[in-house]
Amino acid sequence: MVLKVWLALFALLALTTTMAFVQLGSANLAIALAIAVAKAVLVLWFFMELKGSAGLTRAFAAAGFFWLLILIALTWADYSQRRDVRVPVTISSPRSP
Amino acid sequence: MSDRAASTEPGFQFADAAQAREVSTLGMWAFLATEVLFFGALIAAYFNYRIWYGDELIAAAGHTKIVLGTINTAVLLTSSACMAMAVWSQESKARRAACLWLAATAALGLLFVAIKSYEYLLEYREHLVPALDFDGARYGGATELFFTWYFCATGLHALHLLIGIGFVLFAAIAIARDRLPDGLSIRILGLYWHFVDIVWIFLFPLIYLAGRNG
Repeated sequence: MVLKVWLALFALLALTTTMAFVQLGSANLAIALAIAVAKAVLVLWFFMELKGSAGLTRAFAAAGFFWLLILIALTWADYSQRRDVRVPVTISSPRSP
Repeated sequence: MSDRAASTEPGFQFADAAQAREVSTLGMWAFLATEVLFFGALIAAYFNYRIWYGDELIAAAGHTKIVLGTINTAVLLTSSACMAMAVWSQESKARRAACLWLAATAALGLLFVAIKSYEYLLEYREHLVPALDFDGARYGGATELFFTWYFCATGLHALHLLIGIGFVLFAAIAIARDRLPDGLSIRILGLYWHFVDIVWIFLFPLIYLAGRNG
């Protein structure tokens, strides 16, 4: 079981690294994140033994990710729609020669 | 052997061993939920930077070392597999195997930290370390912001890993001497180790895979 999961993780790592060099525009980020989620689910389900866990344990495990989803979704929904706030790019402190 | 038998007895506060096991599992998951949000805030910040700076931030990520990053991901995934084997060995009462798998886990963890340190050294030489030595005229503000975030995220991850390595080494030695403390469960330690692996699984594409084309 451990060997199979390990091989699957390596296959996904090879896939995600390869896909990064293919130009797909904004789909690159989506594919990379989808593969990361797949890898995380493999680790959670098999290595972290959620597969054989009680419902309460699974609920505890899901809680953190659920709140994270809210945090990211609401932040993204706000800032991706803003057109009035632009952060200045010139944040670099001038270096003395 | 009476010592070993005693150590499998749950503490007085538990009804039985199964309850003790469930309580410790839930406790670790509750802690990991706070860790999810801890690293999650960093990841949310990264998405904001992507919105604000777009292609500039993606170009900044292109300065990271993808070969070393990919090798390190493979190292960490393998360490997690070793950790899973250690837990499985410990639960099947194979003490010697558990000890060896834990040693392998810690060794791979140390290899990860070594490779990461080498990456930091390369970045220092390329004047990519904000506050310490950053060539603002050459790289620009978005790159400085990205690398500030990069050192925070990878530094905090490395700190978590170092703490994990410490516990894993301690557990390996304790098992070898047949003196594993009651409170230290390899399974619970495994949950922590795998979580640190999951953090890296998400940091890897955000740091190394952005900016590799176009």
